[in-house]
Amino acid sequence: MSKRPFLGWFASPSILIAFAIAASFLAIVQYSLRAHVPGSLNPGGLTLDNFTTLWKAVYGQAFLNTVLLCFWTALFTLLIGYPLAFAMVRAKSARLRSAILLISLTPLFLGEIVRTYSWMIVLGNRGFVNAVLMQMGLIDRPIDFMFTMTGVVIALVHFTLPIVVVMLAAALSHIDRNLERAATSLGAGRVRVFATVTLPLSIPGIVAATSTAFAWTFSAFATPQMIGGGKVQTISTLVYQVGFASFNFPLAASLSLVGLLFTIAVLAIFNTGIRRLEKIGAH
Amino acid sequence: MSSEIPRNTPQDSRQHPAVQIDGVAKSFSGTVALEPVWLKIRRGEFLTLLGPSGCGKTTLLNLIAGFLEADEGELFINRDLVTQVPPHQREIGIVFQNYALFPHMNVAQNVAYGLRTRRVSKAETAERVREALALVKLEDFADRRPRQLSGGQQQRVALARALVIRPRVLLLDEPFSALDRNLRTAMQVELKEIQSRLGLTTVFVTHDQSEALSMSDRIAVMSRGRIRQIGTPTEIYDQPQSRFVSTFVGDANLFSATLREKTTADAILEVGSTRLTLSTYQVDMPAPGPVTLFVRPEQCVLTDSGKPDAIPATVALSVYQGSYAELHLDCPSAEGGRVMLRVPASQALPAGASVGIALPQRGPAIYAREDDIA
Amino acid sequence: MKKTILDHALDWAGRILLTAILCFVLLPFIVVLIASFNESAILTFPPKGWSFRWYANAFEYRDFGEGLVNSLMIAAIGATIALIAGSGFAYVLNRYDFALKSLLNGVLMSPLIIPNFTIGLGLLILSAAASLPRSVWLVVAVHVIIVLPFVVRSVYVSLQNFERRYEQAAESLGAGPVHVLLTITLPLLLPGLVSGGLFAAILSFNEFTASLFVVNQRTQTLPVAMYNYVREYADPTLAAVSVIYVAVVAVMLLLVHKFFRLEKVLNVE
Repeated sequence: MSKRPFLGWFASPSILIAFAIAASFLAIVQYSLRAHVPGSLNPGGLTLDNFTTLWKAVYGQAFLNTVLLCFWTALFTLLIGYPLAFAMVRAKSARLRSAILLISLTPLFLGEIVRTYSWMIVLGNRGFVNAVLMQMGLIDRPIDFMFTMTGVVIALVHFTLPIVVVMLAAALSHIDRNLERAATSLGAGRVRVFATVTLPLSIPGIVAATSTAFAWTFSAFATPQMIGGGKVQTISTLVYQVGFASFNFPLAASLSLVGLLFTIAVLAIFNTGIRRLEKIGAH
Repeated sequence: MSSEIPRNTPQDSRQHPAVQIDGVAKSFSGTVALEPVWLKIRRGEFLTLLGPSGCGKTTLLNLIAGFLEADEGELFINRDLVTQVPPHQREIGIVFQNYALFPHMNVAQNVAYGLRTRRVSKAETAERVREALALVKLEDFADRRPRQLSGGQQQRVALARALVIRPRVLLLDEPFSALDRNLRTAMQVELKEIQSRLGLTTVFVTHDQSEALSMSDRIAVMSRGRIRQIGTPTEIYDQPQSRFVSTFVGDANLFSATLREKTTADAILEVGSTRLTLSTYQVDMPAPGPVTLFVRPEQCVLTDSGKPDAIPATVALSVYQGSYAELHLDCPSAEGGRVMLRVPASQALPAGASVGIALPQRGPAIYAREDDIA
Repeated sequence: MKKTILDHALDWAGRILLTAILCFVLLPFIVVLIASFNESAILTFPPKGWSFRWYANAFEYRDFGEGLVNSLMIAAIGATIALIAGSGFAYVLNRYDFALKSLLNGVLMSPLIIPNFTIGLGLLILSAAASLPRSVWLVVAVHVIIVLPFVVRSVYVSLQNFERRYEQAAESLGAGPVHVLLTITLPLLLPGLVSGGLFAAILSFNEFTASLFVVNQRTQTLPVAMYNYVREYADPTLAAVSVIYVAVVAVMLLLVHKFFRLEKVLNVE
């Protein structure tokens, strides 16, 4: 460690930022314990009413929707992302590698709005998919993607795919290829090598990627808001609605707070899992 | 340049030491890296810190350089107390293992770096950089980037960079370990030449005993955070004072023996059923009882198996080494059951041959049996 | 090595699967490209005619222009602040031990797991409670908080891979701590700092959810302007905006890739 204390002042701007983060968190906690005064933006006295309100069915449904979205999104993102990451890490030509990398990662840098809007055009009633299917005569009337869980999941898989691919590729590229060669030399075929060596060694990466997919889906707002269109309410869309449609910021704060605690709990479980797995791992 | 560096004169070496280490010790989070060490390094001396990894030699070097702060003790360079002085005010030169040439600067900029920090004038800087590069025979490489140079050239640049500031002490941290064998020997000769020409006080850290023996004025052999023995290469090789030093520097044959009697200079021992009388160079000889007898392979003489003062053994394996052959002998009295001798290649014996090992009267040493193994 | 029929089948299955997945990734962008040149206001496939009118429309609509200016300004300021604060913190994190270090680290990294809508709501409430105006600085603050963890991570990784011997060599040559920092540490860390800063700027440019909570009509960013547009109009103007948006980000990424190699920045080598 360094003996030059004055360079420690480099941390001071970030300490200021840390205070801002802590203060905004405390602001949420404080608001969640205050009464809503209809017609006023200023909160009233101390109360626990906000949390009892959350027991209503509409909020329970939003929680359930969010959890379901997280589950399906994580599942399909993994199923699609693993082969992609595998192909990227193991591509023989540098050009193919670069191409897969750029194609699969560019969406990461495009934000939620552009991507969600694009999916609206693809999935709409007169959108690309329905138009193509109808012209081919496969369906008579458009399939409902918009305002459904299915549509939201499709767009969310596309949204979380790049980060999952990055994490899986990182995990796969750190697997020692000699382990696979050893398995091959012992007579294992390609499928067996994959199932007995590659896949087990990448499990910590898979768990880490799943936990990130969960966090991203939980945090997603534009996709459920625009494709769900009010029919698929999640915690994020509900927080916005409660805040900006009925200006009930105390209730929005308590809903966010419960959502945050839920996220932390789930991620803590994932983290414990990852640590356990790393202990078993090859190191 | 060379003319401006103070020469090593006889008076100098009788004066104050170039580096004086008084009871300096260092621990890292409770683990002792260096026990309190006392050491005086003479002016113009080439002193080697030799030992296995983890013995504390690099810790001691970093303490002299100032990259680490001593837990206790004092450190002097040219009589100045520097214990609390930060590295950039110590006026020392360092050549690191991987040379640490600044990759974003060319060779001349690397060499000039220490002069720029000292605000030496532009003209003088240019002149001194040129001289330093000439000293290491790299005049034509001033504009190259470090990664365009070979390992040997990089090392020369690192040396020039360290020398150009006219350091009070030159520290070398395993500088040859990244070079291949042939280049290594050539660089050793070159470095030694430059060092003695400039009369530069040098502290050299290595785990390679042959490097230490060939280059040093004195060697400090270290293990487990302590200096085990300090002396000239000849003293270290010919008169190791402990079992550790005897086995770490050079090859050693060790026999289990019993010390029967000792007088001021002579010792009477039994090795198996063979009774020997030896005179040793040792300062401390252990008390009578079970001991370890040490002797260098080249001091052992091969004789007939029947001789009364010869230790019986059987040839297990003969390894051809070009100018000589290594004979590995099975010997029940040897520690580990094996002894190694070098004989002219023409005198190599077949496996299974019974032989006797005769020891010289002077040369072997006797260590207490429980003397450390580390 | 001779390939069996199974090997060939696996190879082909792999190729088809890879192509299908890449199509899925690219599909929305291709569709949006087609839609942006569609002549009629109602989205239909295949388009009945081609035109540039939606691009013209996009350039005329004032909110997009203003949003773009806001976004670029906020991204530039936010990324700069985040880079300065983040690299300073990464340096201290790497070099010093002090009380509450892990707490500070935890708080600064927490935006990685706190949903963006919660961060937006938190700062909105905080500014209301402190009676601060909803100015552009509030938006900048939100963006700094969100991108800071990425900067800290990227600089911290560079610092961990940094060879400390370079600094020690400079010190032994007489350079004091500040001199070492300016002539050795900073120049050698520059690639990491630049890529960290660019990364932060791109993330900030894309940020939507938290911004939605803290912007007003005057400070709205491009993504917020796009969101407001799609709620009011159903024509393909936004497709044209999206195409431009994708092109700009792709060019930025290609630049980053050319200079720093994305594999390195994202640690997938």
